[in-house]
Amino acid sequence: MLRRRTLLLASSALSLAPSVRALAAPPSSGQASLGPILVTLFLRGGMDALGVLAPVDDRDYVACRPPEMRLLADGDKPALALEGGPAGHDFRLHHEMGALRELYQEKRLAFVHAAGITNGTRSHFGAQELIERGITNPDEASHVAGGWMARWLAACNAAHAPAFAAGAGAPESLSLHADTISSPDLRGGMNLPGGKQAAALLPHLYGGNSAFERAARRTLADVVLIDGRLRQPDGKVAPYQPAGGASYEDTEIGRGLTSVARVVRMETPIRAFAVDMGGWDTHDNQPGRLANLVGQLSRALAAFHADLHDRLGEIVLVAMSEFGRRLRSNKSNGTDHGHGGLMLVSAPSIAGGRIHGEWPGLASDRLDNSVDLAVTTDVRSVLAEVMAGPLGTPAAIGAAFPNFTPKPVGVTRA
Amino acid sequence: MSFDVEPRLLLNKLAFGPSAADLHDVQRSGPEGWLQHQLKPPMQDDCTQRIDAAHLRLKYVSKAPEAQVDEDRPIAVIDQPIEERWRVVEKNEPQQERGFFRTAVAAATLTRAVHSRWQLREVLVDFWHNHFNVNAVGDNLVAVALPTYDRDVIRRHALGNFREMLEAVATSAAMQIYLNNRSSRGGAANENYARELFELHTLGRPAYLNALYNKWRKVPGALEGQPQGYIDQDVYEAARAFTGWTIEDGAGTGPGRRLPLTGKFTYVETWHDNYQKRVLATEFDPYQPPLSDGRRVLDLVAEHPATASYVCDKLCRRLVSDTPEPALVAAVAKVWSENSRKPDQIARTVEAIARSGSFRRSAAAKLKRPLELYASFARATGIVVAPTAGLIGELDGGGQRLFGWGPPTGHPDQSDYWLSSAMVRRRWSLLLGLADDIWKAGAPIAAVAIAEKDTPESAVRAAHRVLLGSEGDGKLVMAIVHGLGLKPGLPFDTRKDALPLARRMLAYCAMTAAFQMR
Repeated sequence: MLRRRTLLLASSALSLAPSVRALAAPPSSGQASLGPILVTLFLRGGMDALGVLAPVDDRDYVACRPPEMRLLADGDKPALALEGGPAGHDFRLHHEMGALRELYQEKRLAFVHAAGITNGTRSHFGAQELIERGITNPDEASHVAGGWMARWLAACNAAHAPAFAAGAGAPESLSLHADTISSPDLRGGMNLPGGKQAAALLPHLYGGNSAFERAARRTLADVVLIDGRLRQPDGKVAPYQPAGGASYEDTEIGRGLTSVARVVRMETPIRAFAVDMGGWDTHDNQPGRLANLVGQLSRALAAFHADLHDRLGEIVLVAMSEFGRRLRSNKSNGTDHGHGGLMLVSAPSIAGGRIHGEWPGLASDRLDNSVDLAVTTDVRSVLAEVMAGPLGTPAAIGAAFPNFTPKPVGVTRA
Repeated sequence: MSFDVEPRLLLNKLAFGPSAADLHDVQRSGPEGWLQHQLKPPMQDDCTQRIDAAHLRLKYVSKAPEAQVDEDRPIAVIDQPIEERWRVVEKNEPQQERGFFRTAVAAATLTRAVHSRWQLREVLVDFWHNHFNVNAVGDNLVAVALPTYDRDVIRRHALGNFREMLEAVATSAAMQIYLNNRSSRGGAANENYARELFELHTLGRPAYLNALYNKWRKVPGALEGQPQGYIDQDVYEAARAFTGWTIEDGAGTGPGRRLPLTGKFTYVETWHDNYQKRVLATEFDPYQPPLSDGRRVLDLVAEHPATASYVCDKLCRRLVSDTPEPALVAAVAKVWSENSRKPDQIARTVEAIARSGSFRRSAAAKLKRPLELYASFARATGIVVAPTAGLIGELDGGGQRLFGWGPPTGHPDQSDYWLSSAMVRRRWSLLLGLADDIWKAGAPIAAVAIAEKDTPESAVRAAHRVLLGSEGDGKLVMAIVHGLGLKPGLPFDTRKDALPLARRMLAYCAMTAAFQMR
């Protein structure tokens, strides 16, 4: 397998340690926009697609889950009706997702149901790896190097441009990308521990070519790029003021999308962002847990769109999870690992306000392995479509997803 | 078979780095003697005095239930039996009372990583805690169970027998809570534990053949009773086998009946799915005696050849390099399988790894994880650990939140993961903070002798020697001298700030690639 260091060795741009002068330089501003920005959102743990968006009048749906485990058309918290779903069904959205429904009704946002991987794995880590690497089967990893976002960037002549991961580490979708800046939270700044002394001293410690020295040099450069732009003249980290009356909650997804918005406003060369949100592995006590999660997700996305209202023409956001969950719930009031899932796409010029993807149905003979929502749309077909459309990088599709022929989904307006 | 390994390599790989005392031990008894000694640690913990003396500040205000606490609490509360600790659950005490048990185990872990004579056991305790990961931060009920899990499950079996360890894990409150088996019921079993038992604890993802076969009899070898791997049908059936395995957590068992609240393992017959099952092409008859379905699953997975390969590959990755040679893994897996009934199966396996040529050639093959970076710095510089919440908080923020990793995979064991810009920054701040003792968790004693050197360059060379056993190249030494604003050749020991400068010299020498690797 081609490992990260192999690619890094090939990178000449990284051999320059930042000088003391560079560390002290003020941030440049007013750069021209570099084109559309991709934000991917990975909902880790397997989001229960059928607990988030489902045909509430479907006989099999009603039969396979007790009322507390499914969306309901009536009662004290009815699920939210949506237009634009597959004909003949009453598709409804979780009642905690009112803010998201507004984006949907404004046609900024679309869903793709029964989306996922065609491989039969029900392993979190197996499924995440396939999606993030952009491959069909694990054995492809031996000849398709890195993550799909890294390959997409390389194919867009941005192999050495930094990407941003809102988290402690970089996700596999950016594996082998030469420069991923990571930060779980920018509110404390991204300064260099040890201050000026360390800034002067550290570049001299890392002149070699080991993986650690390359990472240390990259980190020194990342600090220069981000931290200077976070600070006021007095050196303190400026509090972030979202635009559009937006307010983010202090949740994993709230912090993640705040960081993305903040970096977008910094006008850096960063055009690829990856955000993680965990907690979706609801094997037990699902009703309360899922309500919390979808509420946090919905409100964070609403805040993000309000905040970047003047930049939405260049922002493409795609949310995905490794799989959906079992149609039948278990006796822990939870659901086990399933197959078909739900994707969410927000972009300019898309066919928003619609639920895309062929709906396979929930009758036993329509289920995958007789138990799970089938996959009718490969995640990569959706991603390829946004590459061809709003991202404006049709030529990069083949590199991002080698050995794969995307099928039309209709998410983007042709 | 002589065992001739460079002492620093030995201690970087099978210990949390060299300390002066351990280097002396290796030199005195030789690598062979040291290894033999380490492979047979006494059951007894050798850090009880330090742990009995250690306290952590616990400070909180709680509204419901109303409480105000501000005290130095002894971490020795982790020695209590589980039913004692479960009183915080029974009495519905504030959640901070539960969370304290997690920080207390973390504090004891740091103490032992630095000070225990039984370093190999500590290294393997860290390995098994990650292999059998539970998250005591995400669910504070796991925190209440954690001290027992650490002591009676992971520590007790760290160098012992895998099958015994597997059952200790399966019946532990921590794992029962974390992977939800305690709420699994016949009829629609909760598959969480069963799936991770196959995928992460035993056969491993390479043996998950669900994408290839959807019927058990199609799996190669199944009709001979020796399937090469497992599919979802095995997960479903194993989940049924573990129904009724639960803990005394107060759950209702019928009209007017409840389990007690002690956290102890128990078996509830009425929750068990008693009908016939088929796991890994082996038929289970209906209505077997209590617990025997689950134990049979554990027998099958523990003995499976895929488990030997998977677990030994992970052990080699931990103790040798990120990419162990397949021949090494195969040779080690053979030792593992041949000793599967021996009480010291794991010790024998580790010995086979240590005696391999790959091990001897594996100097600096891996990046230290934050715990290793902390402990190796503390051991080299003579820090006497006085764990504090501040220190544990720093390690948490640095990416290695002990007993607080969310997914059941445990912390990643590939160097690349630990090289993100967020984590590299935290490595620097950890070392500066340790050198300056900003968390009041023990100062580096070695700085005192460094401050007594007559010139800055001889002081930096001494710091380098403390950490790495050599003086360091001239360019590096000068870079640190100049970086600290000092002039070579001028007097150093007479400066008023010689001690704080000496501490910084230790920090910067520890930031070099040479010290970051093990």
